[in-house]
Amino acid sequence: MANHRNSKKRKWQLILGITMVLSLLLTACSGNGGSGNKDKAEPTQSAVSNTDGNGESKGNEGEEKPVYPMDTKDTFSYWAPINGNLITFATNLAEAPIGKEIAKATGVKVTYIHPTDGQAEEQFNLLLASTKLPDVLEYDWSIYPGGPEKAIADGVIVPLNDLIDQYAPNLKKMLEADPELDKMVKTDSGQYYAFPMVRNSEGVVFRGPMLRKDWLDELGLQLPVTVDDWHTVLTAFKEKKGAVAPLTAQYAGKMNLQDAFFGAYKTSHGFYIDDEGKVKYGPLDPQYKDVITLFRKWYSEGLIDKDFPIIERNTLDKRLLNGESGATVYLLGGGMGKWLESGKAQNPTFDLVAAPYPVLNAGEKPFTGQRDFKYNPKASAAVTTSAKNLETIVKWLDYSFSEQGTLTYNFGVEGESYTMDNGVPKFTDMIVKNDKYTSQQMLAQYTIPNGPFPMHEQKSTNTFPQQDEAVKIWSETDAAKHILPAFITPTVDESKKVAQSMTAINTYLEEMFIKFIMGNEPIDKFDGFVKQLEDMGIRDVIDIYQGALDRYNNR
Amino acid sequence: MAQLKLGRGKVAHAGSLPLNIAKDIVKNKYLYIMLSPVLAYFIIFQYFPMYGAIIAFKDFNPRLGIGGSAWAGLEHFKDFFGGMYFWRVFKNTLMISFYDLVFGFPAPLILALLLNEVKNALFKRSVQTITYLPHFISLVIIAGMIKDFTSSDGVINDIIAFFGGERVTMLLEPSYFRTIFVSSNIWQHVGWGTIIYLAALSAIDQEQYEACKIDGGGRWKQMLHVTLPGLLPVFVILLILDIGRIMSVGFEKVILLYNPTTYVTADVISSYVYRIGLQDFQFSFSSAVGLFNSVINFALVIGSNWISRKLNNTGLW
Repeated sequence: MANHRNSKKRKWQLILGITMVLSLLLTACSGNGGSGNKDKAEPTQSAVSNTDGNGESKGNEGEEKPVYPMDTKDTFSYWAPINGNLITFATNLAEAPIGKEIAKATGVKVTYIHPTDGQAEEQFNLLLASTKLPDVLEYDWSIYPGGPEKAIADGVIVPLNDLIDQYAPNLKKMLEADPELDKMVKTDSGQYYAFPMVRNSEGVVFRGPMLRKDWLDELGLQLPVTVDDWHTVLTAFKEKKGAVAPLTAQYAGKMNLQDAFFGAYKTSHGFYIDDEGKVKYGPLDPQYKDVITLFRKWYSEGLIDKDFPIIERNTLDKRLLNGESGATVYLLGGGMGKWLESGKAQNPTFDLVAAPYPVLNAGEKPFTGQRDFKYNPKASAAVTTSAKNLETIVKWLDYSFSEQGTLTYNFGVEGESYTMDNGVPKFTDMIVKNDKYTSQQMLAQYTIPNGPFPMHEQKSTNTFPQQDEAVKIWSETDAAKHILPAFITPTVDESKKVAQSMTAINTYLEEMFIKFIMGNEPIDKFDGFVKQLEDMGIRDVIDIYQGALDRYNNR
Repeated sequence: MAQLKLGRGKVAHAGSLPLNIAKDIVKNKYLYIMLSPVLAYFIIFQYFPMYGAIIAFKDFNPRLGIGGSAWAGLEHFKDFFGGMYFWRVFKNTLMISFYDLVFGFPAPLILALLLNEVKNALFKRSVQTITYLPHFISLVIIAGMIKDFTSSDGVINDIIAFFGGERVTMLLEPSYFRTIFVSSNIWQHVGWGTIIYLAALSAIDQEQYEACKIDGGGRWKQMLHVTLPGLLPVFVILLILDIGRIMSVGFEKVILLYNPTTYVTADVISSYVYRIGLQDFQFSFSSAVGLFNSVINFALVIGSNWISRKLNNTGLW
């Protein structure tokens, strides 16, 4: 009987639970709708009065620089993912010190809308499906099917050419001075679609090969340059230092070596551009077989992590910090910086050093390596067709490209988060030597880590001299010539074809790559492997990318 | 069970006398009010979206909307069936579901029967709580634990090595994947699954046990002739519902555990579609696959229900 009563009680609890969840869902829905409407209602009214007023007063001054703070009552809504480190301190950018500083400096109170952390992509897509868009959308517009050009044609975002000419002198100056950047931020037909995030030279190279410096010194070995050097070093790590996985790397869809070792054979683990400017797919190259043969040999000798297809970030940490691995290809900050910090804490002699991307013969310049582009499309702000007071919005966006604005976005509040030292901005101790919080957490509150602004040349988040050295070493490649730009835009039909073919091709490539290396597939099956890739339509995909690249080059 | 019987009786009543519905609503208005959110939920979130299934036959573009997008006919279905990996993912989906059904489905019933025989309340509750626990742990964490346990220096390999076996990274062995997947599924859900059986157990008439005892039945006979027949209706209904899910192996756990080495046994329809969907937002293609799955699931439910009615006269309807 007691049992019976219990199950009854449980049933009631269940019903209560379900009702509560349901009612929560309902209120959540209506809540969203409500605030959305509020955002929309206000700008519509002020928009009319504003365009009139400014048209008269500023009309004859032409391209005069806007004066900040602006004298306006306009406001607008701005959708952007919130920085993960900021959430602990403020749920909205407007409440953070940097948000307040920007509002003060520009004179515009912006309503920020942030997607739930980790769901930005999903919510961005949902937004596109709705007809009520926020006024500004900061996201990766290159993922829009058909590219930004199609987004303009579909009436989602507005072309910015005239608006930049009229109201954004700072960005205009920057684009005129840098034709390379200019090419990246516009569409094939020459339309500007977003205010870009522009990386500084340090922000472009941030990943590469690194080794245990203390092991090298102890074994009396030189920093490896050629593939043969690497073989010697890795063998020594295995035999003399007992490393179970001398060379390891993160596996995310593929072994992330940033084409180290592949580059030595002048090929790649994916698409690349050859010396003649033609799009190529590495696995089709005859020299790709040489890479596979090399890895296969190293794997059988126990030099490559035998678990390489399941190495995640935390396993990588474990490998490096516990002396299981002596070499990897990974990040400057999240890898080298982090490991140096925790490695030295455990063992004062722990040290890492960056190695150049390997080559076959000493003296060669590495064919490729990690190199991102100046333009970071992931944090670029486009103005949607829902926006009413375009002039205010564009002027506000241009602020981050002004001299003062760049300082604010990069360094925060003068006298609080940074000071000027002989014209060079320096973070204060509150940011870099905070007792309670990490510098990343402080930076998230006082600066904009990612967003539509140029990164200041003096801004560096390196904490060890080894990292500064690494950037120099890793930059010494021909990667700029050989990496396929991320901003090429296949048409809608083409991207559909690419997506469908590439899912199957990537599945096949990765399965075979692993089988070849682990020795589960004889190496003379390579010709059959190439043929299979061709049967799966890889040539069509190459042609599509070639077409898109040609259009890009003609911009 | 008493409640269930009452419920069924009512439905039959109202069905045969439609005039009485209004009277019934007045009489049991609170019950109907309590029912309405559930009804609304199903209409709004389950039935209404079915309209969206037509995007499987269209080239869906969010800006143009469902109505405005161009028709594509059966193109997406052709792409799916004609794909190089169709048969592999189809087979893997069925295999994983099948193993899950054979080994995973009876597990809660067995545990419930065992618990039913336990007389020490404290022990019984502790076991229940411990077995429920994994159900409430996030899947990502579960997957992380599985990875740790199965890694070459994990617990399972420690045991194997202790008995002189060789250490293997189990998630790199295609032949182990299904075993890992299904056995961890059992671990995750066995406790939770017992709840419904324990509820049904408490509804079995105690007099039947007494009658069985008088007839000389021991514990084993009581279980065989009273408990099991008492649980049969619940068992059959759950089985039919589970069969209806055969084509839908969720992608979350698969993508957390697989890697290209194990694609050959681990890649299922949903994980394959997830990879296509991730690269480009192919709503239409995904819908076509979803629709295909639903049709097969639907046919399986109807089929198994029909068989069950033929065999022992119980079923969902």
